This record gives sequence, C-alpha cells and structure tokens, in this order.
Amino acid sequence: MSESFVNEPLADGVGVARAHHFESVAQQREAATLGIWAWLITELLLFSALFLVALITRIQHPEATVAAARHLKFWIGATNTVVLICSSLTMSMAIEFSRMGWQRAMVRAMLATAALGALFLVLKGYEYYADWSEHMMPFLADRPFELAETPAARLFVNLYYVATVLHAVHLFTGIALLLGMTWMAAKAGFLSRHQNWIEVYGLYWHFIDLVWILAFPILYVVNRAT
Amino acid sequence: MRGPLASLTADDRARLRRRMRTPVLTFLALLSLLAVNVTLGATLPFAHVWALEIAVVGVMVALILLVSMEVRKEPPLIRLFSGLGFFWVCIMVGMTLTDYLAR
Repeated sequence: MSESFVNEPLADGVGVARAHHFESVAQQREAATLGIWAWLITELLLFSALFLVALITRIQHPEATVAAARHLKFWIGATNTVVLICSSLTMSMAIEFSRMGWQRAMVRAMLATAALGALFLVLKGYEYYADWSEHMMPFLADRPFELAETPAARLFVNLYYVATVLHAVHLFTGIALLLGMTWMAAKAGFLSRHQNWIEVYGLYWHFIDLVWILAFPILYVVNRAT
Repeated sequence: MRGPLASLTADDRARLRRRMRTPVLTFLALLSLLAVNVTLGATLPFAHVWALEIAVVGVMVALILLVSMEVRKEPPLIRLFSGLGFFWVCIMVGMTLTDYLAR
C-alpha cells in the first residue's frame, strides 16, 4: 500500500529501502502491491472457473450433486473456515505490528498464522481419510465408489478434490513462504528495509482465506438442500 | 526487538488498541456471518435458502477485500485492478449461468 494512503504513518525506523530503478519508495511500494494483485487476479479466475463448474454440475445433476455433497464432512469444513478466519486475524495483526515496528510481536503473529494454516491442512487430511474410509474417492481404481449407481456424483466428487487439493497446495506453499519470510523478518534491520514484504505477503494469505470462504459454501453448504 | 505485550506504556497500549480495532472487528464480523451460513446449512429452514447463503458469502468476500486486503485504502490504479478481476469473474459466472438457467 502506498504510504500516502495509510491512515497512520509507519513508526520511526520502519520502511522500505528504495531499489535503484524506482523513483521513490512510494512508487516501489505501489508497484509491489500492483504486482501481487496482477497475480492474485489470475488465481481468482482459476478458482472461479472451478467453482462455476461446481454450480453447473448442481444445475445439471441436482440429485447426484446433493447425494455426493451430503457425504462431505460439513462440520470439518465449517471448523476449517473458522481456522482460516483466525489465521487472517493473526496475519492482519502481523501487518499492523510491522507498521508499528514491533518486530518480535510481528514474528510471533506470523508463526501463529503458519500454525493455523498447518492446522487447516491436518483437518483437511483427516477429512480426506474419512472420505477414503467411506469409499468416496471415485478416482481410486481399487476402491469401489460409494455412489457408483449415480455416475454424475463422480463428476462432483472429482471436482471437489481438484478444487480442495489445489487450495491445499496454495496453502502449503503459503506456509512454506511464510516460514521462510519469518526467518528473514526476525533478523535485525528487516523492518527498516523490507516492511512492505509483510503487507504484500498478507495479501496472498488473505486471498487463500477468501478462496476457502467461497469454496466452503459452494461445495459444502448450498448443495445440502434438495 | 520490542516485547509483544509486556511493559507497554499507556501510549503504546492506546496505539495498539487503535491499530487492532479494525482487524478484530473484521474477525468478529466474519465469524458472525459464517455462523449464519453454518446455521442455515445445518437447519435448511426454507426453500431456496441457497440465495441467502450466497448473499452472506458476498458480504464476507466484500469484507475481506475491502477491509482485510485494504483495497479501500489503495491508490486508484490498484483499486481498478482488483475491481476488474472481480468484474471479469462476474461476466464469466453471469453469462454462463444465464445460459444454463435459461435452458
């Protein structure tokens, strides 16, 4: 975010070291934010297309989609949404701490964010295990699909796996990046040279949260009603 | 490095409250909206409840975009960029669903 648009100024000693090819720090910050947004928009289009296919599957095959969706672990999905909303709070706190120059608090908030992301993946892994136990993995050749008598259910369940695994890959990558950045951010002088890295990374984390905020209702919630 | 909460001055505490107010309020709003959707999904109180669920999700997405991702505070070019992304998604979803729902 450009400094001129921040409500409160950054604390003393907090800022960005200007790279030679930028005219000013403000221009550098704006370019970094614009860059991450350009990438997030491509990600948005990717996930939106998947969610759109889920809605079309529901319109074209309502009974099969509802039958498949009722096998999804609704309460695990809801719990995972709470976990990601909590992680968005800790990420926002890390950004605010970085602006205040409270480096240790920022590092702790970043670690808490990574831990909540890992908790999401653990719960998702348990959910996949429960699906496997219930024969709800139609792509496994050696394990008969529970809803084999309704072929369209296979479409929805396969789509569910593509969307949620893709989201989990983004989350896993996000945790790895976050831990790497936390390691760098704990060093002395980080906030005086690279404070905007925290803000730029925060946009990615909030976006992962936003994608799940869309995935949970589109896959789990709206398909429960006949 | 500064300690996280220990030995804060009154000025520090006031600054912390001011800085954390928006993230905490956003967090509470998102949790409340999620509670509405989970309740609707678990109880299915009326026909076409999906319309209300989608509306609630719309509010949650707007909150994350405008407040958590701070789009409302960004310069015009970035606001335009982020807005255009969602505009294209609306075109894609709107035109495709118009086709399927009109068949």
